[in-house]
Amino acid sequence: MASGYGKAGGAVGDNVTFLCGGVLPEVEIMSKYLKELDKEQFRSILKAVVNTIEGKDCCEAMNAIVESGIVTEEKLSHIIAGMFGLLKEALRLPKSSLKHEVFQEDLRALRISEECITDFSSVVFGNRRMVLETVGTQQVTQLPSIKDFTWRVDVAISTSSISRALQPSILTQIQLSDDTRHCFEIPVSKFQELRYNVALILKEMNDLEKKNILKIQD
Amino acid sequence: MADADTVKSLNGLLNGIAQKIYYNKSEITEDLLKNELYPDLSPEEFHALHEKMKSLVKSIASADMDQAQLEAFLTAQTRKQGGSGGVSAEQAAALSRFWKSHRARIRESLVGQSRWEPGLRGLSWRVDVQTASSRGEPSGNAVALVELELGRQGEDSDFVCLEFDEVKVNQVLKKMAEIQESIDSIVNKS
Repeated sequence: MASGYGKAGGAVGDNVTFLCGGVLPEVEIMSKYLKELDKEQFRSILKAVVNTIEGKDCCEAMNAIVESGIVTEEKLSHIIAGMFGLLKEALRLPKSSLKHEVFQEDLRALRISEECITDFSSVVFGNRRMVLETVGTQQVTQLPSIKDFTWRVDVAISTSSISRALQPSILTQIQLSDDTRHCFEIPVSKFQELRYNVALILKEMNDLEKKNILKIQD
Repeated sequence: MADADTVKSLNGLLNGIAQKIYYNKSEITEDLLKNELYPDLSPEEFHALHEKMKSLVKSIASADMDQAQLEAFLTAQTRKQGGSGGVSAEQAAALSRFWKSHRARIRESLVGQSRWEPGLRGLSWRVDVQTASSRGEPSGNAVALVELELGRQGEDSDFVCLEFDEVKVNQVLKKMAEIQESIDSIVNKS
């Protein structure tokens, strides 16, 4: 058996290696129900699941499958959950650390038919992978980033508190990727501090990239 | 009688006025200043002195006088001596000393009083390398996490957390260089 990712576990999947921490229960249940599907039926469900992962709307496709009455709704739910879990785990691993053979062996261990294995493999290792990875990266948990940064430099000439102010100040508005806006003023002294720190961040990031030791290797 | 105690009390009074009016120290009251600095003066006498000094400090501060303007102002005030509201030579000297050391801070406070947008109070940051994620292959690139502390005067701070990749940091830095250029062009002209 190929060298391992994770611990083996589960009654059927003792030798399964790429699914970290053992076989997901939904994958195990799915493997049983897959036998009741023919090739075309299997493909239509797999296609709908892949579309969902890509973020497309597939309500119609799912409804069509339910209405066709190939499998009961309960079994269909298990199959969809299993496919989703299986693909999610497989796509999570970097391409370089998940070997095609290991993947196939793992599915064989779950007694999934060769035809289905070929189809699963084409999703995980085929042309689709790039699209799915891009979608995956976009969905990664992250803080909002700056979408737009606009500014204005004002010089207050005179105010109710001081007759000759003549003090420049910077008014900025940042629009974030979560579509919130923040408007704030930066006193000149703070602006210098901010600029220094941003430059420092850039330097740190550049330095970090030069350090080979921090490049994540599989 | 310009003995050391008088000078000390006068300095204390001016400092107290600045704390109260410009540095938002509301715990400093007229009574406190009287009891601490001028226990021997009658309340009326102290009140008159306090009001006089307060009005002088306010005049000097709101005009943001430079050294020459201050000299001229104080000279004019000293000449008024004898009449009401004039200042003694030692009071003029104390005011001059006081203004020299407080000018920048008082100006800052006055400019701040006309600032209504939340201001940037502070910033902290961290640079991370992403090593794993629940979805997709992590890029392994450096990510900067930045926390901006924003707040209006007298209010609690709000914190805005942001994430930057290197490209974004570069973009922001370029914008800041533009801002700096714009400020320099104004400052150099005046």
